[in-house]
Amino acid sequence: MKTKRDLAVRCEEVTKHVCEHLDEQMDSPRCRQLRKHLQECPDCTAYLDGLKKTIKLYRNISTPRVSQSVHKKLLAALKLDP
Amino acid sequence: MQNVENEPELVRRAQKGDKRAFSLLVKQYESTVYGFAFKVCRNEEKAAETLQDTFVNVYRKLDQFNGKAKFSTWLYQIVTNNCLMKRRRSKLDESSVSIDSPENGAEDSDRGGDGAPLQSLILLKQTPQDEMVNKELREILDNAILKLPMEQRIVFVLRDVEGRSSEETAKILKLSAPAVKSRLRRARVFLRAHLQEYIES
Repeated sequence: MKTKRDLAVRCEEVTKHVCEHLDEQMDSPRCRQLRKHLQECPDCTAYLDGLKKTIKLYRNISTPRVSQSVHKKLLAALKLDP
Repeated sequence: MQNVENEPELVRRAQKGDKRAFSLLVKQYESTVYGFAFKVCRNEEKAAETLQDTFVNVYRKLDQFNGKAKFSTWLYQIVTNNCLMKRRRSKLDESSVSIDSPENGAEDSDRGGDGAPLQSLILLKQTPQDEMVNKELREILDNAILKLPMEQRIVFVLRDVEGRSSEETAKILKLSAPAVKSRLRRARVFLRAHLQEYIES
């Protein structure tokens, strides 16, 4: 059984690691250890979920299209035919 | 960024002064450049300026493109440089801090986004109430990302929003892989902390 201190130290490690390697394969022995920690630690799991949700929010954000007037100004600046 | 089938040929022709070829390159990439600039500066006017500055630079420097990197990587180098220069020139930058500090200045605003449970709120603009939620969410997202130092913001947009690889991001920004990771980590931590209340609610 892990002590609270062990868990606290490792939480720090886990959050740093997931922040850097969120989108990478976590298959090394160390990553398996961290993944195990995630399974046992609701705080780290919540942290990871929050990170994923944050990224998703920005990924799904709506982006405007290039308007006709912006397009025309661009062509004019580049001296290109419309 | 989409791949153009005959892109190397198009670039070669544009380098030789073929205006039509250059025009096709502009047409192919203008929405990518504009979209990226908007995601970084969160402002349509600034995105339009960045779009124009970028393609003017592309035109001027086209003969320097040697084809070793992908054209899109080279284009991203120019647009990210423009974003950084614009940021430096801006008086609003005074409130910004150094590259690796998570605390810093603000900029402009507009647009917004959504997430797993929030996605439908953004995409389905059905009622005035939904629109209010969308506007509120946009403001929250914009305010948070605009507080990030530009260097971290660009890494976050390239990696997490545009889905560019670590390697390409490092090439675009001429940074080492650990430097990209470090900036990305800081950006993620910062944004998550700023959105915590919203995420938890």
